[in-house]
Amino acid sequence: MTGTTSNPVPPGRTLRRLFLTLFLRGRSSRGLRKERAPKSVGSKLALTLFFYALMGLMTLAFLNQPVFALSVYLHAMTLVFLGMFVAASAGEVLFNKEEADILMHRPIPPRALLWAKIGVLVEVSLWLAGAFNLAGLFVGLYGPNGGWLFPVAHAISTTFEALFCTGCVVLVYQLCLRWFGRERLDGLMTTAQVLVAVAAVVGGQMVPQLMRGFGGKLDLSIKSWWIALLPPAWFAGFDDALAGSGRAGSWALGGFGLAATTTVLWLAFGKLASAYETGLQTLNETTSARRSGRAGRRWIDVLVATPPLCWWLRDSVTRAAFLLTAAYLVRDRDVKLRIYPGLAPMLAMPIIFLVQDQGRGGMGGFGVAFAGGYLGLIPLLGLNLLRYSQQWQASDLFRAAPLPGPAPLCHGARRAVLCFLALPALVVFALLARLVESDSSHLPLLLPGLLALPLYAMVPCLGGHAVPLSLPTEEAKSAVRGLTMVAVMLISAVLSGLAIWAWSGGWFKWLLLVETVLVLILYLGMRAAVASVRWTPLE
Amino acid sequence: MISLKQLTKRFGTQTAVDALSFDIAGGQIVGFLGPNGAGKSTTLKMLTGMIEPSEGTATVCGFDLQRETLEVKRRVGFVPESGAVFESLTGLEYLEMVAALYAIPQEAARARIKQFIAFFDLSFETLTDKLLGAYSKGMRRKVVITAALLHNPPVVFFDEPLDGLDANAAVGFKALIQTLAREGKTIVYSSHILDVVERVCDRVIIIDKGRLLLDGRPDELVAAHGAGTLERLFTQLTGGTELERRAEDFAKTFRQ
Repeated sequence: MTGTTSNPVPPGRTLRRLFLTLFLRGRSSRGLRKERAPKSVGSKLALTLFFYALMGLMTLAFLNQPVFALSVYLHAMTLVFLGMFVAASAGEVLFNKEEADILMHRPIPPRALLWAKIGVLVEVSLWLAGAFNLAGLFVGLYGPNGGWLFPVAHAISTTFEALFCTGCVVLVYQLCLRWFGRERLDGLMTTAQVLVAVAAVVGGQMVPQLMRGFGGKLDLSIKSWWIALLPPAWFAGFDDALAGSGRAGSWALGGFGLAATTTVLWLAFGKLASAYETGLQTLNETTSARRSGRAGRRWIDVLVATPPLCWWLRDSVTRAAFLLTAAYLVRDRDVKLRIYPGLAPMLAMPIIFLVQDQGRGGMGGFGVAFAGGYLGLIPLLGLNLLRYSQQWQASDLFRAAPLPGPAPLCHGARRAVLCFLALPALVVFALLARLVESDSSHLPLLLPGLLALPLYAMVPCLGGHAVPLSLPTEEAKSAVRGLTMVAVMLISAVLSGLAIWAWSGGWFKWLLLVETVLVLILYLGMRAAVASVRWTPLE
Repeated sequence: MISLKQLTKRFGTQTAVDALSFDIAGGQIVGFLGPNGAGKSTTLKMLTGMIEPSEGTATVCGFDLQRETLEVKRRVGFVPESGAVFESLTGLEYLEMVAALYAIPQEAARARIKQFIAFFDLSFETLTDKLLGAYSKGMRRKVVITAALLHNPPVVFFDEPLDGLDANAAVGFKALIQTLAREGKTIVYSSHILDVVERVCDRVIIIDKGRLLLDGRPDELVAAHGAGTLERLFTQLTGGTELERRAEDFAKTFRQ
């Protein structure tokens, strides 16, 4: 071997650069026009940062709020966005199946791999957090007890929050690996991500709601012992201690936040790092890929052969796409890690509103109507996420088959999403609404959302964009999900507001009638449009 | 059976396939050869209707590739080089899904699948109990080959079909394509394993940089160019000259 005079790049830095490039650019250069593929994710991320910054402008509503209230809002929203982002990305970043073949035979310690990946997750989290908090930094300058120290304190606390959030997700993974082993990790990762995403949304929403309940004036030292349980309040306490009121309670919260962050980081990246090493080494073992039993598929087979599904799935291609989608929703680690954590916050939001609805005076039923509106948007996100798969190249099969266009495949996927995602959500919402509400009189408020369901499910099919498992997974990392979530909330709010208005005005039946007619017309039009779609050129 | 006239494919400014013209009669096994990046896979993807030609025309089984794409697709089978499958399905589920795409009734599909797994020496339990992600590369390739033949197409395109197959399966596969050709099917076989092509194919078409270099019977072409073997002829035509000297130069760099 010949010697070299130039200093080698440290492996840690090389790995960080590698994972950041892979994260931004994606692992596969799809198609033959390779010059287009690498740019796409980076530009999408830039666009996402821009939208995060735009969403951050909502902070302007807190212009005259004290530092603590402003900070609680900023940290709660940041926790929601970061929690969802890290939970959705960590699985693929930490445990990429192909990576073992590429890297595990190189002289790289697994701990260096872990640190490099964590570094990338934290770096991207900080970009997102920075973009969202940009407007807040200036709002804090002009608050009643704000000042020039606020941007500095908030930047530091946001960094801690990003570290805490990433650390928590990694910690959950490490614990799953340590306690349950590699064989059960696939299922546990999905569950863990769902829980993390739900916890992020619930935790993020709870503090502002509680703040509203107390009129934005919390006496931390006396009545608010429970606030120490909520992460956004810890980091807001840090801001308030350094750049706001400087009360003892704020110092205590800030100190608690720093201690919690340090503990989580120590556990996730220090104490439990060896579990990651073991997990990575066994990632390519195929024992877990074997089906647990012969019954796995049969219930789906029976289901599609039984009315009403057998009537609904008469076309063989639609039925095949339905079965394919169902199998992936049930079995595929990659798909499950994207779908369920992506949908969980969607389900958490209306549940929060349903619970808040309890005991509310004149606005009773808003939570039910909101849940109905939200329900209609589940297939929208589900179908969008189902387009991505690590086995996207296998979808060449669809193009080689004698199909004039992707319509039957889209319809199969759409129906699977309605059956396996939207229907269970409807049942959960209805049960919860019945449990929470003192009577069932508000349950019909679910109907406007329910009626819009077929329409929402048809939207992703327009242009033939709902072909299941046909796009590389890295294209799913557009991170526009946060924006989608905001759009979802707005549309649901409008629909539920309309429903409540009609309900209280006594013209709810007319609303349903008009909506039914509109939905029918639009549905038929969209269906015809989908049927006329032809395959776009593969390249 | 297959006819190409000035078939061209451009990706931006790059021409991947450049005015390719040839005809293939029914029942032939044609070796479709070329170095990496020659345009073989692009040509096969055009002939299977997966990508559209930029210029030129082609017919498969008498159907125009651009105007009657669906009819073409009904009549061709394709084993892609990637060998990609949906790994979260079992082998049987995958094959039944493929059958459904070609509107083959489930009973008929199941019967054909059983014939194929018997041929490839796979157990039905493996096909029903194991997800494709847990299959070996060779087993997965057998499933992909089965998927390409399930609808009994008169024309089959194979892109590196032997990749991952063990010696026995490879021998069996060669026998299979010869049998299929005898029954009138047209086989287009793209591979880098030239001695197999030389033994199996009635005819070879060699392309480079998207252009046709040579077309004829392997033995006649080898004799006409005095190359001795198809492999030597291929390296002569596609610039693979002085390979021994280049290997020696490469090895020298480690000695310095």
